[in-house]
Amino acid sequence: MVWQKEDKFSYDIFIEKHKTIFIFFVSVFVCLSIRLFYLQIIKGDRYRKISDQQRMHNTYERAPRGIIYSEDNVVLVENKFVFVALFYPFKQCQVPSDKGIGKLNKIFGKDVRLMINMGYKFGKVVKLADNLTLEEMFKIRENKLNFKGISVLKESRRVYCYPEATSHITGYIGEIGADEIEELLKRDYKIGDYIGRGGIEQIYDKYLRGKDGGWQIEMNSIGCQIKEFMYIQPEIGASVYSTINLKLQKVAYDALRDSSTGRGAVVVLDAKTGAVKTLVSCPGFDANKIGTKDFNKYLKDKKLSLFNRALQALYPPGSVFKIITFAAAVELMNINYEETVLCNGSFKLGNRNYSCWRKQGHGKVNLFSAMVQSCNIYFYKLGLKLGVKNLRKYAKKFHLGEKMGIDLPNEKKGFVPSPEWKKSKLKMRWLHGDTVISSIGQGALWVTPLQMACMISAVANKGICRRPYVVDRIVSPNGDKIYSHKLDFEERISLSDRVWDLLHKALLEVVESGTGSRSKIPGIKIAGKTGTAQNPQGDDHAWFVSYAPAESPEIAIAVIVENGGGGGYNAVPIGRKIYEAYFNMKSEESVK
Amino acid sequence: MIKSRNFYRHLVSVIDFQLIFLVITLMFISFAVIYSACSNYGMSFKYLSVQLLAFIIGFFGFVLIVNFNYQYYKYLDKFIYILSSVLLVSVLIFGSVKRGTRGWFNFGFISFQPVEIAKIMFILSLASFLDRKSKETGKISFLISVFVMLVVHLILIMMQPDFSSTLSYFPVTLILLFTIGIEPFYLFCIVIFGSLAVGIPLLETFLSMQLQFSQSKTFLTNFIVFLKANWIGVYAVVMILCLIISCWYFLWKLKIRIAPIYPTILCISILLGCLSSLAVERSLKDYQRKRLVVFLNPRFDPRGSGYNIIQSKIAIGSGKFIGKGFKKGTQTQLGFLPEQHTDFIFSVIAEEEGWVGAQIILFFYFFFVWRAFVIAKNARDRYGSLVATGLASMFMFYIVINISMVMGMMPATGVPLPLLSYGGSSIFSSLCAVGILCSISTRKYTHS
Repeated sequence: MVWQKEDKFSYDIFIEKHKTIFIFFVSVFVCLSIRLFYLQIIKGDRYRKISDQQRMHNTYERAPRGIIYSEDNVVLVENKFVFVALFYPFKQCQVPSDKGIGKLNKIFGKDVRLMINMGYKFGKVVKLADNLTLEEMFKIRENKLNFKGISVLKESRRVYCYPEATSHITGYIGEIGADEIEELLKRDYKIGDYIGRGGIEQIYDKYLRGKDGGWQIEMNSIGCQIKEFMYIQPEIGASVYSTINLKLQKVAYDALRDSSTGRGAVVVLDAKTGAVKTLVSCPGFDANKIGTKDFNKYLKDKKLSLFNRALQALYPPGSVFKIITFAAAVELMNINYEETVLCNGSFKLGNRNYSCWRKQGHGKVNLFSAMVQSCNIYFYKLGLKLGVKNLRKYAKKFHLGEKMGIDLPNEKKGFVPSPEWKKSKLKMRWLHGDTVISSIGQGALWVTPLQMACMISAVANKGICRRPYVVDRIVSPNGDKIYSHKLDFEERISLSDRVWDLLHKALLEVVESGTGSRSKIPGIKIAGKTGTAQNPQGDDHAWFVSYAPAESPEIAIAVIVENGGGGGYNAVPIGRKIYEAYFNMKSEESVK
Repeated sequence: MIKSRNFYRHLVSVIDFQLIFLVITLMFISFAVIYSACSNYGMSFKYLSVQLLAFIIGFFGFVLIVNFNYQYYKYLDKFIYILSSVLLVSVLIFGSVKRGTRGWFNFGFISFQPVEIAKIMFILSLASFLDRKSKETGKISFLISVFVMLVVHLILIMMQPDFSSTLSYFPVTLILLFTIGIEPFYLFCIVIFGSLAVGIPLLETFLSMQLQFSQSKTFLTNFIVFLKANWIGVYAVVMILCLIISCWYFLWKLKIRIAPIYPTILCISILLGCLSSLAVERSLKDYQRKRLVVFLNPRFDPRGSGYNIIQSKIAIGSGKFIGKGFKKGTQTQLGFLPEQHTDFIFSVIAEEEGWVGAQIILFFYFFFVWRAFVIAKNARDRYGSLVATGLASMFMFYIVINISMVMGMMPATGVPLPLLSYGGSSIFSSLCAVGILCSISTRKYTHS
């Protein structure tokens, strides 16, 4: 009994209630302890991670991309460093004063107030000006006190050293677009990164891009930088050694540009390995102008300079296809090449006339002279005898209508027509006339210049096909070879030796005394075939495919001059220039 | 002279040293934590000096109150109640406004919040009233008088407006009524009435926000849409009432006699609760309701009212076992944690000192309240017991409301943590309350 004035009974009641309250009190504290344990011990790791996430912030410094070299170790694409002015809102947590902004506007010649305010509001780095001159840079450095939060940084810029001639091979770079960002984020790209577009830049992007560096900083709740944790030096991308021979490339580009129309493509392959020594599409473009106003000029260009004609343009092969008809005829029909056919300039099939390119006709021609003079009448008859099935089979044997597998993007397949295709697509029966024009490479037959180059290279090698490639090896910054091309795709077109021998003989004769005689170079035996592909939309395309030296082929060339007219007049001289350049270069090397 | 010396010797010999030790320890911890929490603003010195000043003033108040015999309060109850009401009225007239609340007397270098001391005065006068009327607890007039006493204070505080300060009034009043011997069933009915009146609008707000937020149709949300659409809610209430009555009738038939007054009161309180929920729904603005329910799911409003709770949970959780170290808490020092030296000071401790430190603080508070309950048990008379119980439950609810708020179990309200949070008025009134507790414990009956 404790209470003095009250009775014992009421104290007992009080003690009872007191106990209840006390039990309630203990249980509440137990609840609090359990919750505390749950938050700190059970969920502790998760909350620690969240707390780290919201204070850490990464700012990136973009790595310079790798350098692209040519076969002769000339730099095709490199980086140059420019100064850029950035607004970096983390360090001082301040925007420049009004006076400072006024000065900045004067230096840059544009109003930057809005950009700065947006950057400050969202805590983002804003690029205020690009490509500062030294004078501008020093002006900014001088007024550092007025320009709070403005810093001048070095940034690497891509430089294409031989823009017009090599831009189609090297490609260019562009910022990642909104439509592809989701896919690329998984592959460790970031918003605002640059990615290769076209050419080597696109295909070998993962080697070229290097590793971005940057700072990891600690920020407080209002987005000010408190501490800098670490700085990671950006790592330059790997160097790419291409197979492109810059001298040949330049010669080919100049020759094409000076040709009758200035449009066309040249592909030069190393006949032994399939390495692409030259790949020119004319007109070229200047990849340095990407993102500038000048670039719109290319987009609107009627000459389609961004279009890589060597892999993407489809042309009818014209007389060049006679090589395939020739091979098929010799292999399948065991033809007597002495047997002559009369060419009087036209050939009547049904009620239509199919003419030879020479109006007055070639007179009596045999297999050889038909090839050398490129007589159409002889090949019409040959094609009719062979039939469309065999023509198609041999076209497929030479890999027409399929990709060659070059390591450049957007290669086209081309097309080889068939009676089934005509029936299902055009709802028309295959006529003998279709077979006739197919045998001289007209009709719905479409090939790319690269395919023609591969075809002639296969002929030169007696049937050995190799996958064309432009990148020989890739070397990482510390000198390790991280990629090198393997000569893997080897397939032999199985034809008898007799076919190859006859074909070589005929092709040699073409240059020696036939349509390709303009490419004759004393001392070097060149074998080739010209073509004048009829083009329903305009003037004829001029073709020239060849290889040299004929006895042990080193290079194979395909030249097309778009709407260039006769192949012998327009395409062959370009081939000749390339051969001259190639063999001069070789003799110089041997002198050394 | 000799007499007073003897008295002090007696006082020192019987004073509750455990309680004083706990208070002083908590005060020193408070200084350390405020120093750490405010170093981020670079104003530790200012806050520390204010806290120290409040502690010194509070300590003098404490010494005065310990010497003063608490039994006199019993006879001064009307005066105390009127004085507290006058304080609350005058702050409405002369007070200065801070953060939208007219609740401070500004004395230039220091300002004082009278609501803190008014709470203690309310407990003193309510305990005296209950003590005097302890024989009349069955009368309805008794409950009404208590209710009036409570409502006058609540209205005065709500006029400031200071919602969070009213929170501790309800549990303290309920516990004191329970202690004096009111039938728990009536208290239960009052709680049902209150929770229905406030709970239904909040529940509705919560569910409608859940519906907006998740867009997924769960069983519960479908059910609520169904209820709202077809007046089913009314039928449901009627059904519950019928169920209660039929249960009672069934038990009556089984010869388990329960006076008919119980089901009647229960039914009336449910009905009244449902009706007054309509009134509450009208009077609370949408954003207010939103703010109250955000604690159930802070993701409703992560940048607004949910932000504080999310950041506080991150701070507490990221402390893990031993914490990030004194002055090294990233949530605290980088300013992610809001109100870190006042309402969210527990989060600072939990982040920097980890589970170990936070649990020790919890234990300190546990012993503190436990000592207060022991004092209530050993008091010399019923008045002393009632006052001690009231003060103990006041501390208990302050602590529970604050800590469960920072751990995301309750709505974000501005209730400080007694003895730890920065705030002169809070420290001063807490020390005065401890003084009253000590005054009760020194005058307990001893056999010697």
